[in-house]
Amino acid sequence: MSERVLVAMSGGVDSSVAAALLREQGYEVIGIAMRLAPERPPTAMARRRGTCCSHDDFEDARRVAEKLDFPFYVIDLRAEFETRVVDNFVSEYLTGRTPNPCVMCNREIKFDRLWQRAAALEADFVATGHYARIERDEAGRFHLLRARDESKDQSYFLFTLGQCEMARTLFPLGSLSKTRVRALARALGLANADKPESQEICFVPQNDYAAFVTHNAPPERIRSGNIRNASGLKLARHRGIHQFTVGQRRGLGIASTAPLYVRAIDAETGDITVGQRGDLVSAGLIAGMVRLADPEISSRSEVKVEVKIRYRHPPLPASLRILDQDRAHVRFQNGGPAVTPGQACVFYRGDEVLGGGIIETALES
Amino acid sequence: MRIYLDHNAGGPLRPAARDAMARFIAGNAEGNPSSVHCSGQRARRLLEQARAEVASLIEAPARSIVFTSGGTESNNLAIFGALHNPARRRIVTSTIEHSSIIVPITELERRGFEVIRLSVDRDGKLLADGNLDTIDQNTALVSVGLANAEVGTIQDLRPFSQAAHRAGAIFHVDAAQAVGRIHVAVEDSGCDLMTLSAHKLGGPAGIGGLYVRPGCTLAPQLLGGPQETGMRAGTPNLCGVTGFGAAARETMACMADEQERIAMLARLLLRRLEGLVNGLHLNGPREGRIQNTLNLTFPAVLGETLLIALDLEGIEISMGSACAAGAVEPSHVLLAMGRRAMEARSSVRLSLGWSTTLEEIERAAEIIPSVWRRVAAAEPLSGPREAEPCS
Repeated sequence: MSERVLVAMSGGVDSSVAAALLREQGYEVIGIAMRLAPERPPTAMARRRGTCCSHDDFEDARRVAEKLDFPFYVIDLRAEFETRVVDNFVSEYLTGRTPNPCVMCNREIKFDRLWQRAAALEADFVATGHYARIERDEAGRFHLLRARDESKDQSYFLFTLGQCEMARTLFPLGSLSKTRVRALARALGLANADKPESQEICFVPQNDYAAFVTHNAPPERIRSGNIRNASGLKLARHRGIHQFTVGQRRGLGIASTAPLYVRAIDAETGDITVGQRGDLVSAGLIAGMVRLADPEISSRSEVKVEVKIRYRHPPLPASLRILDQDRAHVRFQNGGPAVTPGQACVFYRGDEVLGGGIIETALES
Repeated sequence: MRIYLDHNAGGPLRPAARDAMARFIAGNAEGNPSSVHCSGQRARRLLEQARAEVASLIEAPARSIVFTSGGTESNNLAIFGALHNPARRRIVTSTIEHSSIIVPITELERRGFEVIRLSVDRDGKLLADGNLDTIDQNTALVSVGLANAEVGTIQDLRPFSQAAHRAGAIFHVDAAQAVGRIHVAVEDSGCDLMTLSAHKLGGPAGIGGLYVRPGCTLAPQLLGGPQETGMRAGTPNLCGVTGFGAAARETMACMADEQERIAMLARLLLRRLEGLVNGLHLNGPREGRIQNTLNLTFPAVLGETLLIALDLEGIEISMGSACAAGAVEPSHVLLAMGRRAMEARSSVRLSLGWSTTLEEIERAAEIIPSVWRRVAAAEPLSGPREAEPCS
């Protein structure tokens, strides 16, 4: 009997082609679309076209399953998504951090909750349309690698995958370029072959994080305060620290000769410290919730790595020291720009993901 | 072999209905029953013959049946059609009705009608005590179901029909799930309007009927022609009507034997499952229930997962209702019966029908407990996650 794989389908071209490729490779494919975000009224829904979880997207996924003739189900994980991803997202912003919900969703939903479902359905693997690779070495250990198409690489969002998860996960697109994926979709006659990319966070309407947090937070937890320069001079008032992220330039509402950027967010005082571009460079950072693909790293005193501190940032050379079981000290070789608490810091060696964590603090020296 | 245990959602076509429709399509299907010519007259004969067959199913006079596009349209016609007296602004219904009753009535509430939703007991039974006073001189319509689709509870509607008639309100009974499963006679329930659906009794989907008691005033909702004695304009779906008529005839002919057989199979399935699934709970009353319906709470699993896992094993069941996206929602009926949300999430519905065989039931009774055990072990319902899924 062929191996059974549960494919998480969003209705987009990537997960559709992932399902098609697995079917071609002889797997027994079961398509699963996850209902994650709470229902929104039709108007907001229409505005959210192009992001995941809308009815149109479920229909796109369903059509692909019909076309390729495999069973397809929509499952309801709204409650789990709310408590494990959305609540965390809101509370992170309220404490002055900038969360990465995709990392949380992968860790808590796709590679945990969905895994339980896969086991209940006797699936051997979970597959997604992520651009990343999993390879197995002679010793039987699994390695998470960057996608071949570097412009699409999503390994950054997947650093939490451990040996257990990797052993039962398939990323069929890891060696393909996006152009090739679209061409495959067209060749297969998939209706969503030319569907635009979703760039936004699926549960945030119109990508307006601040409005989403304001709407979903208890009013007493909104921390307003002052925007100050490095010497503490008050430049303006603001209506909530959740509206800011480190490195942000737009929307500060302050006239200045040189452009001003957010340097730091202080949840205690409500102060937003701004400065010039050059002020944004940090010497290092402390990361928490660290997960390591290779536990041996933790036993070594210091490891040369490259780190990515935001999804779209280029990797930076750095040295890594594991402090205790889930915290790490990272020192940049040449300084790191806009180190943002709440974002993921992912450790690479060449193409391989060694692990990562969530940034707690930037280090000035 | 796929085992279909979702007859309450719609059963397979009875051979008699299939043959009647095939004959209709193969023969000269032309002819509008409203036309004067011979083809028109032939079409009219088919229509009226089917009407008589459907009517006799509920012991009603032939001309009292209005053909519609199904149970949903019948319910909409009954509800919106009953509100022609501007002095009567109250609607009485229950908390366990089908969405084609709940949603129109909620819309009417939004438009300013006063809506009373009668609650039910833990078995899904409507309580007459203390509820009958809500049916007063302001009440335009009392709309309740005879047999509940999700748990199967059969209501004793006599007190409600008497109260409705005393108050001068129109009494509507949704009998879509009851007809063909128990003996239904319009006189027994004392209804003014009764909803029927063809595909619940082995006819085709897309055709239904509304019984309108002679003398009951109902405002048509589809205007534009004299068809169906002016109650529902539009050329009737003659192929569907033919299938409905044949299914009604067949249902009547086999009902006594068939219902005994289905009840026996359902009891067998329940007994086997209770023996193998520790803590299994039957929702709804043991007696006073359409016997084909088993709404079961399976401990320690999500109904959603059980449903998918069973589908992958070839057993087709259902749960609550599907949302627009196709995900399943926990049953509002179970919640109305006082079940906790988690219990409702763990509950699924198995419904047997005319095509169910002993072999299918014996197989289902083997597969379901083993799938339940596997799902319960793999997907813990709550609390901290289990040990890493490594093996």
